[in-house]
Amino acid sequence: MRIDNAYFTRRKFLNSILGGWLGAVAASFISPIVKFVWPPYKEPDEVKLVFADYSAMQPGEVKNFVWGSKPGLIKRAQDGSFIAWVGVCTHLDCNVTWLPAKKQFFCACHDGWYDENGTNVSGPPPKPLRRLEPSVEGEDLFIRKPGVGAKT
Amino acid sequence: MKIDMKKFAAWFDDRLALTPIFKYMTKKEVPQHEHSFWYYTGSSILLFLFIQIVTGIMLALYYKPTLEGATDSIGRIMTELPLGWLVRSVHSWSSTFMIALVMIHLLAIWFTKSYRKPREATWMTGMMLLVVSMVFGFTGYLLPWDDLSLSATKVGTNIPMAIPVVGKWVTQFLRGGDDVTGDTLTRFFLFHVCILPLVIFAILVVHILLVQKEGMSVPLKDEIAKKKVPALPFWPNFILREVVIWLVLLGILLTISLMFAPSLELTADLMAPAPEGVKPEWYFLFLFQTLKIFPANMGPVTGEFVAVVLILIAVVAIFFLPFIDNKPEGKKGKIIAYLGVAGVIYAIVFSIWSLL
Repeated sequence: MRIDNAYFTRRKFLNSILGGWLGAVAASFISPIVKFVWPPYKEPDEVKLVFADYSAMQPGEVKNFVWGSKPGLIKRAQDGSFIAWVGVCTHLDCNVTWLPAKKQFFCACHDGWYDENGTNVSGPPPKPLRRLEPSVEGEDLFIRKPGVGAKT
Repeated sequence: MKIDMKKFAAWFDDRLALTPIFKYMTKKEVPQHEHSFWYYTGSSILLFLFIQIVTGIMLALYYKPTLEGATDSIGRIMTELPLGWLVRSVHSWSSTFMIALVMIHLLAIWFTKSYRKPREATWMTGMMLLVVSMVFGFTGYLLPWDDLSLSATKVGTNIPMAIPVVGKWVTQFLRGGDDVTGDTLTRFFLFHVCILPLVIFAILVVHILLVQKEGMSVPLKDEIAKKKVPALPFWPNFILREVVIWLVLLGILLTISLMFAPSLELTADLMAPAPEGVKPEWYFLFLFQTLKIFPANMGPVTGEFVAVVLILIAVVAIFFLPFIDNKPEGKKGKIIAYLGVAGVIYAIVFSIWSLL
């Protein structure tokens, strides 16, 4: 049945309403499932380390720490300050290692090299290692994501 | 009480109506010609799939898909359970045989151009089965949870990240988070033993039904010449020949599994540097090497992105090959056959190169 001057029939109109309603019901069931499948895990904003474990580091020395579920790398610079990176290759996410003899970071997966400042120098890595911001606060050594200030 | 088997069978047939299927199978014929040999690759894949199911269920009885328990549980299977090392070895080698045969099956159809009308859908479901088989291999590779499998999985699951917007979601879906963790292991186990088996069966049923519906293809030149190709009855002649091939393959599989059982390394450490010589399974080596040769940046995008897009284009093109190769007897058909040869040479050269 079609009312005069209507663009569609009554059946089409009712089917669309019914279809839209069924779609909305389906979406309301699917969205929590999707949310459940993609976990809410977030990278940490900061990690707290014991400064005493790192205070004896010599200039140029590199140590590991745990950055969430990734390894982190921390280096003592010549002036005694700290530099920190996320220890995964910017190419395809393999864990990198510090080679003290060569003074370079190395990723064995695809032969990627970074210099002692974390800058990609050879192989497939497209970017430097991701920098983190270390800060010594009393007994603690905080490592923070750039842009995340100290929690007060 | 004496059971009348005939009555028993008639009762079942009344309910299930299977007689037409048996009748079809006994009437089915397989053409005999110079390329008939390749027909046997299909059923041989099924043999290895069957072995995978049996050995896979056996392994799953004792395997523990957790961060702490995975490697140890495989160690236990290999050292404590009767012939456990052989079960694992057969499962591992049978996957290699199965994927190798899927590839041979695909190439045989590529070169005989059996995907031509009306068998386009058979080819497309076949391509889906190849992809699912490779995902099976990829998810299974992580399950021993040693340093090599961890790094290979990190690389493999990071590759979708090269695709803007959706890539990140795909990676998080595969990993169950931003990183490869114990959740990834649980997830991969679930894919490997639950989701992928359901998927492969659904596609396989369609694939096999399509093969039955269209029958076996005959060589292109015989089809054009409208030549009557001699045929062999499927039952029992062809089946018995298949059985001979199955027994030979089973012998080779067991011999290799006995002599070259896979090793088990130390359990993976999420914080340890990637070990030297990270390699995926052999059927991913050419893709691995392709990713490796692209430079870090190509203009505004990363080399990885370009490589991933090229690989995706190639996969989609092969999926739709029957439509691209719509005049198989013409010049274009010849070029596509040569492209197949080029593809094989590329895959072999790059695979060897990645091992150097």
